Amino acid sequence: MGLILFTFLISCQQNTALACSDSLNSLNSLHTEEQPALSGDGQFIAYVSNRNGTRGILLFDLKDQKFIDLPRLNRPDAIAENPSISNTARYIVYVASDRGRADIQLYDRVTEQVQVLTAGYRGWVRHPSISPDGRYITFETGSNGQWDIEVIDRGTIELDVL
Amino acid sequence: MKLAVRSVLAVLVLAIALSILLISCSGPQYLSFPLDPSGRSLNSPYAELSPKAVSQYLVFVSDRAGSQDVYVYHLNERKLLDLPELNSLDMTVADPDISRDGRYIVFAGNRQGKSDIYLYDRHLYKLRSLTSSLSAEVRNPSISADGDTIAFESNAQGQWDIFIYTRAGDPLDISTNPR
Repeated sequence: MGLILFTFLISCQQNTALACSDSLNSLNSLHTEEQPALSGDGQFIAYVSNRNGTRGILLFDLKDQKFIDLPRLNRPDAIAENPSISNTARYIVYVASDRGRADIQLYDRVTEQVQVLTAGYRGWVRHPSISPDGRYITFETGSNGQWDIEVIDRGTIELDVL
Repeated sequence: MKLAVRSVLAVLVLAIALSILLISCSGPQYLSFPLDPSGRSLNSPYAELSPKAVSQYLVFVSDRAGSQDVYVYHLNERKLLDLPELNSLDMTVADPDISRDGRYIVFAGNRQGKSDIYLYDRHLYKLRSLTSSLSAEVRNPSISADGDTIAFESNAQGQWDIFIYTRAGDPLDISTNPR
């Protein structure tokens, strides 16, 4: 009985040790990190991580070595993947599948608002990318029966210039 | 009298048309790149994959020439750019990215079963591997728009992690792993 308790205690300690190293403020964890995207001068990196028991998009400041909050971007009822960021990481485009289909969404860190760019778009969409100045958004479209490239021009208002 | 009314009407119609044009120009709009069977434009009858627009350069992968190759399309000039020495017959490529000045292109290449992150210099027509010393799978590279930093995934630690290198191919001098 004592032995069982002892091993139980040991395994508990190991678990907390794992949890501790997971919650550390570092770019990589003991879980999967993938799909990195760098900002214009390489200060910020957006990527997908499986840490903390959820899969979501993280934004890390490589200069200050800390994470940056993205309120309302990751939601409990959707998976957000394939991030791409503008010059100062003001804009983040990504794929989110929350209504039974994948949509390209645009997150603005200034307003903390999400804009769905492909609402009502015919055909499957994937692999979005935003230009560093935030003007162009490109993605793959399946609406012609094969993968083709679609380009959105957001215009020259509210660009993310360095 | 009739002429005056007519000209006022004409001016009104013109003003309305102009304002509609202006309103439609200010919001997000889809640029049209129809399929070009000749393969000299952005979209072809074959697959176009992994597009990234950086300033005027749109880098992507297409199998229009029979194998997966990297292409760069100039958005203003509406034409493909020459990339001498980049695509070769013994390498498959994926996930390209390009710097703001259009000089540096990174992509994941696979040659004889070995995956590497490659850097192509469009001024010198030089292609080199940044990860030849890394004996692990690598994929999904991203280059910062200034062309100085490259991030990619590697499974060297037994799971996918983010690696960050300088353009010279050295790991960035920061701790990226949990201590």
